[in-house]
This record gives sequence, C-alpha cells and structure tokens, in this order.
Amino acid sequence: MNEIHDREDFSDERLNAFVDDELGSPERDEILTAIAGNAELGQRLCALRATKDMVRHAYDRVPSKRRPHARRLPMWGGALAASVMLVAGMFIGWYGHGAAAKSEPDSPLAWAAGLLMHEPARVLIHLDNSLPEHMSEALDLAEAYLAKASKARVEVVVNNGGLDLLREESTPFAGRIAALSKRHQLLAFVACGNAIHRYIGNGFEVTLVPEAVVAKTAIEHVADRVREGWTYVKI
Amino acid sequence: MNWLQSRTQRELVGEIEANRERLFRMAFAWSHDSALSDDLAQEALARGLAKLNQLREADRLTSWLFSILHRCWIDHLRGLHVFEDEEALAELPANTPGPDNHAEVQETVNRVRIAIAALPLGQRQVVTLVDLEGLSYSEVATVLAVPIGTVMSRLCRARAALRQLLEPERAEPRLRSIK
Repeated sequence: MNEIHDREDFSDERLNAFVDDELGSPERDEILTAIAGNAELGQRLCALRATKDMVRHAYDRVPSKRRPHARRLPMWGGALAASVMLVAGMFIGWYGHGAAAKSEPDSPLAWAAGLLMHEPARVLIHLDNSLPEHMSEALDLAEAYLAKASKARVEVVVNNGGLDLLREESTPFAGRIAALSKRHQLLAFVACGNAIHRYIGNGFEVTLVPEAVVAKTAIEHVADRVREGWTYVKI
Repeated sequence: MNWLQSRTQRELVGEIEANRERLFRMAFAWSHDSALSDDLAQEALARGLAKLNQLREADRLTSWLFSILHRCWIDHLRGLHVFEDEEALAELPANTPGPDNHAEVQETVNRVRIAIAALPLGQRQVVTLVDLEGLSYSEVATVLAVPIGTVMSRLCRARAALRQLLEPERAEPRLRSIK
C-alpha cells in the first residue's frame, strides 16, 4: 500500500476529465482505485465537482428576456461600418465644423470605415458606465481584437461610472486586467482625469489598478485618437 | 435511417425553435446581458434555419446550433456597438450592481455569475458549454473551432480560477504582485 500518486500522476486536466466523464474505463478505474488511499486526491476531485455543480446551477433561472429599453443591435455586416462612420462623422463634425458629418452609407468614408474594421490595427474601446456586463464586454472585445491581430494596439478608455473598471476599490476584474496587460504589451487602460476628480470630490477613494494610465479627459483622448485614425467602439 | 433523414423539414424547424431557451441561457452565461442574449439567440436561430441544408448527418442539432451561436457572439464582439443608445446608457445610474435580476437570485448564484463573468472569454465559453449543457470535450472543440487540448487547458484554468474567486480561503494561495 505504499503506492504514492502525486500530482504528476493525476494532473488537473486528468481529474477534470474524470469529473466530466471523459475518461475511458481503465483510466477511470485507476483513479477510483487511487482515491481510497489518497485523501488529497479525494479532496481535489470534490473541489472540482463542487465547482462544476456551482456553474451548472448558476443559470437555472435566467432573467426575463426583453428589457424595456433593449439595445438594438445593428449586427452583421454593413451596419457596423455605418456605426463607425457615424462616429467618425461626429468627430469630423466637431472639428471640421460640420463638413462630412452627414455621410451616406455608400460614401467613401463608410467604405474606408469598413476596410478599417477588417484590419483593426488600432482600436479604442470606450466605457462610460459601471454595469458589470458592459465592463466584461469591454474586456471581451479587447481580448477578441488582440486575439485576432496580435500586433493590434488596443486602448480601453473609461470615464463616468466606467472608472469603476479601473478603481481597485470597485473593479471585479483586477485579475483579468493584470493578466491581459501581461499578455499584450500593446494594450492600454486609460482613465479620465475629470472622472477621477469627480469621484474624489464626491468623497470616493480612487486607487487605480497598476495597469491604468490617466488622460486629462476621456473625451479629448477619444477625439485625439479618432483624428489619428483609430477605430472607435463605444460599449 | 439516421435522425436527420427521418425528419421532415417542418419537424426540423420545430426542433430548432425548441432550442431557443437553451441558446438564450448560453448567450446569457457568456454575456450576462439579457437583451443582447435575446438578440444573439434570435440571430443564431435565424442563421440555423437559413443554413438547414448545411446540417450534416453526424451533427448533433444542439451543438450545431451552439457553434452558430458562437459565431454570432464573435461577430457581435468584433462588430456592433451602437452609438444611438448613448442617451439610454447615460441615464443608467452609476454603480448598478450585479446581473440585472440580482434581487431575485440567490447570493451564491450571483457570486458564481460574477466569477464566471470575470473569466477570460474563451475559458467562460468552455466551462459553460461543458457544465451547463453537458457537451463533450470534442463537441466543445467543434463548437468553438479549437483543438481539444485547448478545450482541456481552458477548462482547467477556468475551474482553478473559479475556485480561487469563490473560495479564496480554501484554494491554494496565489501570489499577487503589488506595484
């Protein structure tokens, strides 16, 4: 009975496969036999099983489907180019005193915006509220772009309630931000200086996560980036 | 006669429609946004119905639909983003807590959902496909178009991270760098 199974024998991947019923019977039997003399193995399996059960039951009840102000999604294809065009048009509107602010969908600007989206070399993601699902979406989007084009430059810029994403006091995503930044040198997180002042003025503490940098204001930063040709995405 | 041949077009349409709730639930577990999930489920159904002729005999209907849902979700992340709802967003109160029906769900459920939402995209998809829908590793690999080894390593990391988030005192200590 001095057979010792250590972590090398039972990797986490194997134990997960056991819990998910993915092993053939010889491998399954081997683990079942080992459990008897290996309390630690039993505990690891229990923990995995418990985690699996928690996930399984976390969505037994999901919210009613439609919210009163459901977002309309101009998904798929041309609508995307149109929304980018709208944004570009808006900034040209600000800085060009209205020139080209009303581009038609078939205009060269829309065409260029469409091209841009196929080669998203520089992407600015703007978050201005603290809804956890929107925070998560901003990070998902950054991750998706970076996965698609490893040399893409991506910035996540936050203002208003979006500052909560980068405040250590409030962010649910500190670990994920750290991991993403570590993996992607060309990813930056930018906090709005105005928003920080407002938070402090209202009596909140603001300690930014180590990955964050501060811009004077988010709007100026967005405007600069758009003028430099960045693709702008509003969450 | 296999299952696909044995069904009329009409029966197939009915079976696809019957998956709406499951698609919605999966989309919600990925996005935690009910309106978006409704749109994604609807889009996946519409694309599924339009592509019925591409359904192969070896496909399991549900995982085939999940692979369409996955493509809808990725397209969404790459694309969409609406400017027109900026006003609606601006009206939302700051610091709105939790998933939107948080008052109804138990605290544990909420904690689990928040932990799942904090997972990287790929890990979140793998762990929910395996645990919510009981898909096999090879089915998940097909749905997400990744190698099965990737499915296994993502699942491993996802469960370890969930445990860390949900039971920090019991999970193994993890060093956190402080700058």
